[in-house]
Amino acid sequence: MTLRQLLAAGMLCAAALVQTAVLAADIPSLGDKLPPHKSTADHSKFKELDKVFKTGPEVTKACLACHNDAAKQVQHTKHWTWEVIDPKTGQKLGKKNIINNFCTSTVSNEKDCMACHAGYGWEDKTFDFSKEESVDCLVCHDSTGTYRKLPGDAGHPIYVRKEFPAGSGKFVEPVDLQKVAQGVAMPTRTNCGTCHFFGAGGDGTKHGDLDSSLRNPPKFLDVHMDAKGLNFSCVNCHKTSQHQVAGSRYELAASRTGKPQPQGKVDDNPASCQSCHGDKPHKESLLHAERLNTHTDTLACQTCHIPEYSRGSVGTEKVWDWSTATKMGPDGKPVLKKDSIGRRAFDSKKGDFVWDSYLKPEYRWFNGKVAFTTRGDKIDPTKTVEINHPEGKPNEPGARIWPFKVHRGKQAYDPELKNLLVVHTAGEDHTALWHNFDWPKAITTGMETAGLPWSGKYDFVSTEMSWPIAHMVAPKGDAVPCAQCHQAEGRLAGIDGIWLPGVHKNELIDTVGWLAAALALIGTLIHGIVRLCVPCRKPRSKA
Amino acid sequence: MLKIITGTIVGLVLGALIALGVASQMAGSMMFQERVSPFTVEETVARIQQNILAAGNGWALFGLRYPARPVEAEGGNVLPVMLIEACSVKYSGPILKDDKVRFLSLLMPCKIAVYKKSDGKVYIGIMNAGLIGKLFGSMVGETMADVVRDQEKFLVMDPTKPAPPMVIPKVGEGGGGGAGGSAGGC
Repeated sequence: MTLRQLLAAGMLCAAALVQTAVLAADIPSLGDKLPPHKSTADHSKFKELDKVFKTGPEVTKACLACHNDAAKQVQHTKHWTWEVIDPKTGQKLGKKNIINNFCTSTVSNEKDCMACHAGYGWEDKTFDFSKEESVDCLVCHDSTGTYRKLPGDAGHPIYVRKEFPAGSGKFVEPVDLQKVAQGVAMPTRTNCGTCHFFGAGGDGTKHGDLDSSLRNPPKFLDVHMDAKGLNFSCVNCHKTSQHQVAGSRYELAASRTGKPQPQGKVDDNPASCQSCHGDKPHKESLLHAERLNTHTDTLACQTCHIPEYSRGSVGTEKVWDWSTATKMGPDGKPVLKKDSIGRRAFDSKKGDFVWDSYLKPEYRWFNGKVAFTTRGDKIDPTKTVEINHPEGKPNEPGARIWPFKVHRGKQAYDPELKNLLVVHTAGEDHTALWHNFDWPKAITTGMETAGLPWSGKYDFVSTEMSWPIAHMVAPKGDAVPCAQCHQAEGRLAGIDGIWLPGVHKNELIDTVGWLAAALALIGTLIHGIVRLCVPCRKPRSKA
Repeated sequence: MLKIITGTIVGLVLGALIALGVASQMAGSMMFQERVSPFTVEETVARIQQNILAAGNGWALFGLRYPARPVEAEGGNVLPVMLIEACSVKYSGPILKDDKVRFLSLLMPCKIAVYKKSDGKVYIGIMNAGLIGKLFGSMVGETMADVVRDQEKFLVMDPTKPAPPMVIPKVGEGGGGGAGGSAGGC
């Protein structure tokens, strides 16, 4: 390069630097003007929302003025239909059809249960599922934390000041629908938790791995939702497309193989651990990682990484025994007893409850499919009735050993027709169990509403319901230690189809091993005896 | 003769070593005891607290600590542990007044641990105050014997009686996962 070329290159560089400086000076600083919300739209500035709303459906109409396909999308989801058709059996599932192990059935109890429906006005079977303004946008999109729906209002929010629970002396203020509508945002853990943390009538009652401690969880409780760390919201994993939320327990993929799915790519099961971590996620020391990675062919990630569920102060309900419901106190009046930390222990309306926390899961083979006992199905009352049965067997492709919360209880059944009974529990009418404490009246109304026959007799049968555990993932250092499974009577005791070193034995290998050891010992002994008995040879004299 | 003396010495040394070995193996279980509770951690704590408050002899709840909390604050998981602290001036007073044994204030207030283990069961852990007391003269020994008698009453739990509410001290939320300082006897 000549001196002239060097000078030219230097001048070009200098010119480029000057140009960059000038351009930078021209760009105004916008940092302090960035809107506080993440959305590209500030809903508080929309004239459609700048008015007083008297009802939820009025707000929905305003939403649909812009989001004109949103209601149609929602109406195709389980959050709206509360119905799922099992593609394998044709069985009608979903909250609309199944009997669960908690409040039992939604049928005839819609006004209460629909506090958790993403809609307005589902009071009975005449509800119009095609009416778009009945879709409740706010329950999922409220960011103010003030939107509240109470049992008894068929899914409507609170419009007038109301005493709740009735007779408690506590009052709930009406929702400011305009404020809520102007503050809509993407769903947060609090939005989803409104129903999924408080399902079955109380915090932590139903799931065991979902309760209000996950609104703002510390790292030990969940590494992904850790409020000071990754701070995942539910929809980070339960990715949503056209309002269809991935990862429902009705269509759960018990295993997913292959590499991690890059973000932004369409995944058939984005709510699985493997979607981000792949099926060979362990990367530490080569041998140990390889050993752990072979476990992923047999175990769900959750089996090791959720050592206990309900790890927090809330706890979870283990037992709901309906057979003691309607028992009154000594004065003949309904009784409500609480346990040592204020959770319901007995309620004359509902029966006995047992709670606990830091619970070791129960483990089962699971292929993602669940068989349900639904209304009208025959049961065997001499055995515990499985409200749902996680299917799957050893060595079945797609099946893994999963952790479950198994909720146990007793429910009313018909001893002649041998099926579970639909009980009209909620309501203020004279047949509601929680109003008049009369089982026959409540069963009559429940079964008539469900369109099912009843012999007129009732008794109680033991039941259980299994809930796969997938949340409350502990930091990796707190995964289940190897020895807790690889020991007699360990965590996986009773699980078929697995070979557990430390637990199982092979007679042939053991015999060969012991024989080898015995022969080695005998050989050594003989050698020693020979050495002792045969006098040492004296060193040869050089002479 | 030499053989007898050597044999005796070897025997004594061997005996002492065996005794030491046995003692070191048993020391833990002699100094501390644990038993299974049929109730949840919280209910066990609540029932013990209720018994302490009903025990008389100046017993009062001194605090309730959560040793697992600092671990959780650092992002780690441990199974639940609660530490009930109780004290009685009737028993602590004489010990604290005696210069020779004031160092035993290290053991005050009396503590009862309630914890879950990985087998899923709830355990109650207590210190063998009687054994410790015997090591420090007659006054401490007698006082600790009384403490042991009361401590046994703390642990009697009648499952036919309803679960009492857990007493959560409202003041003194402090480091070490502590929540202490209710009406204390020490």
